[in-house]
Amino acid sequence: MPTFDTKNFGPIAFESRDTIEFPRGLPGFEDRRRFVAIRQERAHPLVFLQSLEDPGLCFITAPVLAVDPQYRLKLSDEDREAADLTPVRRPRIGKDVWALAVISVRETGPTVNLLAPLVINLRSLRAVQAVMRESAYSHRHALPQPAEAVCS
Amino acid sequence: MMSRREGETILIGDRIEIVITHIGRSQVRVGIRAPRDTPVIAREWKLVREENRAAAGAPPVADWDGLVARLEIPAQVSAELSDKGSARQEAALKH
Repeated sequence: MPTFDTKNFGPIAFESRDTIEFPRGLPGFEDRRRFVAIRQERAHPLVFLQSLEDPGLCFITAPVLAVDPQYRLKLSDEDREAADLTPVRRPRIGKDVWALAVISVRETGPTVNLLAPLVINLRSLRAVQAVMRESAYSHRHALPQPAEAVCS
Repeated sequence: MMSRREGETILIGDRIEIVITHIGRSQVRVGIRAPRDTPVIAREWKLVREENRAAAGAPPVADWDGLVARLEIPAQVSAELSDKGSARQEAALKH
């Protein structure tokens, strides 16, 4: 089983077949193509997407449905092609693909990129960061404050 | 403003050429010929690039609970994460 020494998680072991491949890289990180998803029970439902080419590169992500249960994917032909989804006209989240939104932790509070989720083909693990078409999703969607406990 | 039909071309300076290759119902396909040192990207790509760089540059978060508390965990998400068959990507943490 291959292992990889990461900055945030120390050495990790993973199965080669679990490698997620972004053939076009990610915007801003075009030469980073291979990642693994790391999940921890205490951080559920967060998913850490660790680069296998850069020990220090790790995105914190969350399933889009955990941010917006009504979220709708709308992929361009080019993006479907990049993720090996050409025959799948309307990929379903959880069935055909995994859709993860990248979280940015800012001083003003965390935001998520709902405009361009990471769409991972569950069969081939080929993936693309897909810009949603004709959508009003924001690339800086503020995560709401957790609901306060109600005292009566 | 300039109107063009399918197959027609626009020149920007001497070295940039834009061809309208296909006009569909809700989108057009354009071909762009530009010098190697002129990056050609969609505007959204630039927004996403900046956002990715900001996300990757953030220091590691120590307080997951605060972040997790802001997320919903509807049944569908739990199913999506636990029942993934062949795509079980969980990397085992070694330490």
